[in-house]
Amino acid sequence: MRILVLEDDSQLGPWVTSGLKEEGHVVDLFEDGKEALIAAMGQDYDLLILDRMVPGLDGLAVLKSLRASKNKTPALFLTALGEVDARVEGFEAGGDDYLTKPFAFAELSARVNALGRRREGGSSDPVETTTLRYGDLSLDLVARHCERQGQTIDLMAKEFKLLEYFMRRPGRLVTRTMLLEQVWDMSFDPTTSVVETHISRLRTKVDKPFDGELIRTRRGEGYVFGK
Amino acid sequence: MSSANEQTTSSANTSDTRRVNRLIKRLAYRAAKPFRWLLRSSTLRLTLMLSVLFAIGMAVSIFLALTFGRETVLERVDTALTSLASTVSVNETLDQNLIAIVRPLDDLGNLPNPFKRTVRKGGGSVYLGDDFNQFDAWRVQITEDKDGTPILVALPIEDSEDALNLLSGILWTTAALVLAIALLIGVTAGLLAQRRLLRINGALGRLANGELTARTGVETSSDDLDDLARQLDVTASELERLVTQTRHLSASIAHDLRTPLARLRAQLEMLPEGEERGAALEEAGRLSVIFDTIMRVARIEAAQGEDGFERIELSEFIADIEDIFGPVVEDTGKSLVLKDLKSGAVTADKQMLIQAVANLIQNAIVHGGDEITLFAQANGNIQEIGVFDNGKGVPEEHFDEIIKPMVRLDSARQTDGSGLGLALVRAVADRHRAELELSQNKPQGLRAVLKFTK
Repeated sequence: MRILVLEDDSQLGPWVTSGLKEEGHVVDLFEDGKEALIAAMGQDYDLLILDRMVPGLDGLAVLKSLRASKNKTPALFLTALGEVDARVEGFEAGGDDYLTKPFAFAELSARVNALGRRREGGSSDPVETTTLRYGDLSLDLVARHCERQGQTIDLMAKEFKLLEYFMRRPGRLVTRTMLLEQVWDMSFDPTTSVVETHISRLRTKVDKPFDGELIRTRRGEGYVFGK
Repeated sequence: MSSANEQTTSSANTSDTRRVNRLIKRLAYRAAKPFRWLLRSSTLRLTLMLSVLFAIGMAVSIFLALTFGRETVLERVDTALTSLASTVSVNETLDQNLIAIVRPLDDLGNLPNPFKRTVRKGGGSVYLGDDFNQFDAWRVQITEDKDGTPILVALPIEDSEDALNLLSGILWTTAALVLAIALLIGVTAGLLAQRRLLRINGALGRLANGELTARTGVETSSDDLDDLARQLDVTASELERLVTQTRHLSASIAHDLRTPLARLRAQLEMLPEGEERGAALEEAGRLSVIFDTIMRVARIEAAQGEDGFERIELSEFIADIEDIFGPVVEDTGKSLVLKDLKSGAVTADKQMLIQAVANLIQNAIVHGGDEITLFAQANGNIQEIGVFDNGKGVPEEHFDEIIKPMVRLDSARQTDGSGLGLALVRAVADRHRAELELSQNKPQGLRAVLKFTK
């Protein structure tokens, strides 16, 4: 994807840019709102990543101007504001997603990919599969059935949802925040070990009795399924 | 069969009657609604009270004046009768032109019956249906004439009666007029005050609902109510300014802190993989969670209105909570028990409510015993949701203390938690105009209950 990044911070800008480049995207970094607006008007980007507070013209104003000229490029706001009001403002200006600083790169990457898929017009699941498979593990989404090495595994509703979320993102880093939002529908960290507890239970059922660990912890970052 | 039918019909009739009665009551209630403010207007109430006092006072004084007036008149007539009796002799031919009646008692002749009844009473006033000798009101005395013959003497008192009646008419009419005028002034004053009070009330209500731009808009300054309204507007402006300022301040604090946190995170993520990188990232994560929580408490405290509020059935809600947090509690070797006592629904922000209850559970995990109870119940029109544990509990004198941010009673900071737990719960409670009530659990432990009045 061709991505425009508007971020004035001398460390965050290059960090985001290099990370996205590593994932195979083409990235243009701007530190000034006006320049970013001119660039976005002149070229066809697949995605805009805009910081809310930058010199020149802030991210919100940039997007408003673009939307006013019928530019429909998906946009993701980065913000240090994090207030619900600011979030709503962002969506009202035509933003498609919103990420609060500080964030893990994995989270930005996940959101970028989700917006990219939306741009291509596909759903989050390009081929509507009814059964997810990874190695010797399979998850039947219709029959709500899970088995590994031919052995049936009984999963609770939340554990099933958790495993499904992992199996759709093999090899990718999944953060606590992503799990809280997607699996538990919580927009805050409840400061209890909800995620840890459920993951440990899932592991006891899916990993422990078998050879080959599927869910691995990346300390301080999150979890990776597979590979 | 027919009797059964009749029975149904009659019972249908009673229920119909009841329904009609209820309908009438409701209609009457609605019809009276526009006038109900009348009784709530203090000006009008005062007027009514003074009017009633005035009416009672007037009635008493008019009654006394008329009674004493009549007594005086009668006394004078009685004196006249006595002197008349002592000067006439019934056996002499009396002047037929005399207004007075003078008759011997043994020959009352054509006198109307009321006169005859007076004889038995020994005298008094006589009121007739028809005129007798052109008068219908007489004062009668039973006495003796100058010869010692028992006689009845009577003088008309109609003129003085008429005068008294006229006087009473004037007095009562005046009193009624004064009363009516007083009431009219009261209602008018009440209406005028009410209109301005409604404006003040309306503005206050909108302010309370978070509409900080609400003003009464009163600009004249003719009396105390105007001054009150203007003062309210000044206060509201100040409030709006402060809230806006606080929002800006918290936004800039957020920005100033989040940016370096984001840089820190970025730098840590760029480090080579390893145990130390993980530990550092974990610490950075904890830092952002604490910061987020502080910001959230501030945001919840500053927020107003009911945006994002929804109807939540508490029985379903606590079941969801058990679903999410039950395993967490079990993993600590404790158990989470649900108690749903005919709970109803509340209007609340679901995310906030989950967070508040999660914090209470977390508190109970850290400080409580081996059993944590999550309960919901309806108590009259108060909906309660709360958590209690069977741990050591908290001394009552510390209750106020522990709901302040950053306070933890176990000063040795060994246990987890940033000390924001109950502060956040209280912020959520305030946001919903609910009450956070802490009490001792029996036989031991802490009870924390959110009480929703709506």
